[in-house]
Amino acid sequence: MNKDQLSRRNFLEKSALIGAAGVIGLNALSSCKNTTKEVDYEFPPLLDQAPDGKELKVGLVGCGNRGTGAALNFLAAGHGLHLVALADVFEDKVWDCRDKLLKQRVEVPEKNCFWGFDAYKSLLDVDLDVVILATPPHFRPMHFDAAVQAKKHVFLEKPVCVDPVGARQIMATAKKAENIGLSVITGTQRRHSRDYVETYRQVASGAIGDLVAAKAYWLQSHVWFRTREEGWSDMEYMLRNWNSFCWLGGDHILDTHVHNIDIVNWFMGRTPESAVGFGGRHRRLTGDQYDFFSIDFDFGKGISSHSFSRQIDGCANQLGEVIMGTEGYTNCKNTIFNHDGSVKWTYDYPKNKDGRSTGVVAVSPYVQEHIHLVTSIRTNKPVVEAHRTAESTLTAVMGRTAAYTGQKVTWEEMMTSNEKLGPKKYEMGPVDMEFPVPKQGTQHKA
Amino acid sequence: MTDKTIKRKHYMLFIAGGLSVILFLLLFNKTVHYTSTNEFCNSCHVHPHAETSWKLSVHHNTPSGVSIKCVDCHLPPEDQTARFLTRKAYHGFHDFYAYLTMDPEEIDWAAKRSVEASKHFVYEDGCLKCHTNMFPSTLNEQGSQQHIKYIRDPENNSCMQCHHDVGHYRGETNLLVGLEETVDPTEIYTEPAEVKAFETFEEQIPGTAVSFKMIAIPGGQFKMGSPADEPYRERDEGPVRDVEVNNFWMGEIEVSWNEYLAFFTATGSQGRKEAVEVDEETDGVSGATPPWGAPDQGWGKGTRPAITMSHHAAQTYCRWLSQETGRNYRLPTEAEWEYAARGGTQMPYFFEGSPKDFEADGFIKKLFGSNKEVINKYVVSHLNSPNKTQQPDVVEANPYGLKNMLGNVAEFCLDYYDPQVYGKYPKGVVKNPRGPRNGMEHVVRGGSFRNSPKDLRVAARDFTKTEAWLVTDPQIPKSIWWYSDTKSVGFRVVCEYDEEMITTEKIKSE
Repeated sequence: MNKDQLSRRNFLEKSALIGAAGVIGLNALSSCKNTTKEVDYEFPPLLDQAPDGKELKVGLVGCGNRGTGAALNFLAAGHGLHLVALADVFEDKVWDCRDKLLKQRVEVPEKNCFWGFDAYKSLLDVDLDVVILATPPHFRPMHFDAAVQAKKHVFLEKPVCVDPVGARQIMATAKKAENIGLSVITGTQRRHSRDYVETYRQVASGAIGDLVAAKAYWLQSHVWFRTREEGWSDMEYMLRNWNSFCWLGGDHILDTHVHNIDIVNWFMGRTPESAVGFGGRHRRLTGDQYDFFSIDFDFGKGISSHSFSRQIDGCANQLGEVIMGTEGYTNCKNTIFNHDGSVKWTYDYPKNKDGRSTGVVAVSPYVQEHIHLVTSIRTNKPVVEAHRTAESTLTAVMGRTAAYTGQKVTWEEMMTSNEKLGPKKYEMGPVDMEFPVPKQGTQHKA
Repeated sequence: MTDKTIKRKHYMLFIAGGLSVILFLLLFNKTVHYTSTNEFCNSCHVHPHAETSWKLSVHHNTPSGVSIKCVDCHLPPEDQTARFLTRKAYHGFHDFYAYLTMDPEEIDWAAKRSVEASKHFVYEDGCLKCHTNMFPSTLNEQGSQQHIKYIRDPENNSCMQCHHDVGHYRGETNLLVGLEETVDPTEIYTEPAEVKAFETFEEQIPGTAVSFKMIAIPGGQFKMGSPADEPYRERDEGPVRDVEVNNFWMGEIEVSWNEYLAFFTATGSQGRKEAVEVDEETDGVSGATPPWGAPDQGWGKGTRPAITMSHHAAQTYCRWLSQETGRNYRLPTEAEWEYAARGGTQMPYFFEGSPKDFEADGFIKKLFGSNKEVINKYVVSHLNSPNKTQQPDVVEANPYGLKNMLGNVAEFCLDYYDPQVYGKYPKGVVKNPRGPRNGMEHVVRGGSFRNSPKDLRVAARDFTKTEAWLVTDPQIPKSIWWYSDTKSVGFRVVCEYDEEMITTEKIKSE
């Protein structure tokens, strides 16, 4: 009798618990949905520092300059953050990185330093919470998937892939990450920069009316490259000079210009429907990439964005974005103009001692990204940013394809294309690939 | 008093009505449940091995121990009540009718296993109801690509395309396998066949174990095209012209996968060197890039006709074959094709019978069926193919000994297509006519397993539709080697006869 009552009480208690869990579960689900939406439309909380919470251990895959920088940016995001493992394809890169970090008083245990093509797998076996992926973009889809399978939160450097197959792989892995509640932030620092976010907020609430046209540009001098050294195999040469090979870096329309393309997609609220464009090469010394691209991205309804990028010395250089609306235009960064050129609104930067605007945001966007990542982990509000960055990268791939082929290329074609760049196997040694510089159209006849 | 009785009666009626409704609902539910059990399905269902193949499948033999019932896949989910009940009634009636009227031995179960057929009795909502997470973290790269494709366009993709054997395991592999398999060679030919006279011979492809029969077709004169009174005649089949062709050899069967894969293996390129057709430096032929998906549609390779290659690829194959054998192989001209197909006859088909008798149009024939016996003996068509190609030996040859000239797969000809070309030929007897000098599309002859008798007449003409056959090709630029959207066209080779060739062969052998 007593037992019965007890068990009945137990039952009631349990069912109440289950009910509560159900409600919590539902909340978790809906709040998850909200947070993914929040990134684009409701804005993340832009804190100066991530809130304190559980200790987070991070591993770095890709020990080049950006990787090392990203690791330091992560450590600067808050308290209780530790870098515990390094991986790179080259041993010397790992030790170089470790030395640089030691100078910043960050010591990574030697036993957690790995090199080789499979180094990332060894790194994922270390007890970690977060992984920073900063290798050449070619490897990103593969590394991202491995990291999510290992249930790690991820920071992905941009661009996130070099081809349509890779972009779809990132999109699929992003879904996997959402399904298991991981956080994924990408290196689109403009989207995490306070001035950009505030300008976006103004534009989204109608400050320049309906958007009618855009331009995005990244015009700069030549970037680094390495000439081949004696004793380097084909693979070693390409990896050490990855920035010059399309299969590794995706060409500079991805490598650098993807930022501007991403901003236009963000402000427009969608990806373009098709692209027509051109490009060419006449200054470069290594690799198979172009020196310049000029692409018209068609967003439909008569709206298009001119996107142009160049890496040649001795030319007029500039970078940024402009978006035209029916009631004004903006540089997307900090100012909104009337059609007559007068200023309608500017972002209020912090002031220096003399009361003048410093012109820089309070927290570097490179750190802000990581503050956002750590905040979302510690407050258990997962954010997955990978899908939209995959879309922006694929937009750049669409532009690249349009330039390389001289054809009109559609988003639909990009989403179904089986183009996959790179060799079948990764191993140091000779590589059986050819690197003709793409030529659009056909030869004129005499 | 009376008032009270009436009220009482009403009350009783109400109770009785309520009770009977409850009883009815209970019984109805019971019936629905009972008719949804595996035992009930199995009690009536007659397909051989349905139960055993289900027990072998991953849907019964699951790691978690949950077994999927027949109705979980073969009916919509139960919570879609109205649809569930109507589909259930439909299938029940359909199965009952089939049970009464059909002999299970005669049903082509293999055909029902195809992805297309499965859409009639497998409900994808069921798949989605159980598989709520389409992106588990362990999903591999190929799975990721396919699931992304599926969620973008569920209408034109189906779970069954890839997960073909989850419900009933029959040892099938999934449909996305590439061209990895190779024939285990028993004998590798080092030399092409020796040909000493104008007679039928067995050609051998050097460096492979592949051989095929080339039938000697003595040249002659015939009437090309169809008379105006031929049933189902189209305007491009006339006017009828007297045409003369020279001697030539023609493949006994359509070029098979064995033959085509020999070419593919020898010349296939992984990269996209599509602009280069002949590699001048090595004097070699640069061949097809790998196809996307399985070009044999999962129907099997071997001696089945090779399909989905482009007209360009077929011509490149001929050039390669010529290089390997030292003989002049090419696609047949339209005149050679028709001459060979007629086999000396002058009728709608090379066998007796009118297309009107075979074609199942008109109410009466639809009701009682048409006489298909004769045509089925010679032709793989829509009438007897379960919507796929068949092995060459299922039909009898024409008077020249050529198999499948009509049906199985339609065949590329060398000529460009011009609907009025017969009228443009010079007057009198036309010798070895050729189509227009240039054009966009090439002639296709012979009809296929998809066609009905009227399109399988010897004189019926058709042509390539390059744009339509490449609609879903995902590549940029689209492949010049594989058509993504036709699976019923192949080709047959001819070998040019040249008297000198025979004499030199003779001298060599002497």
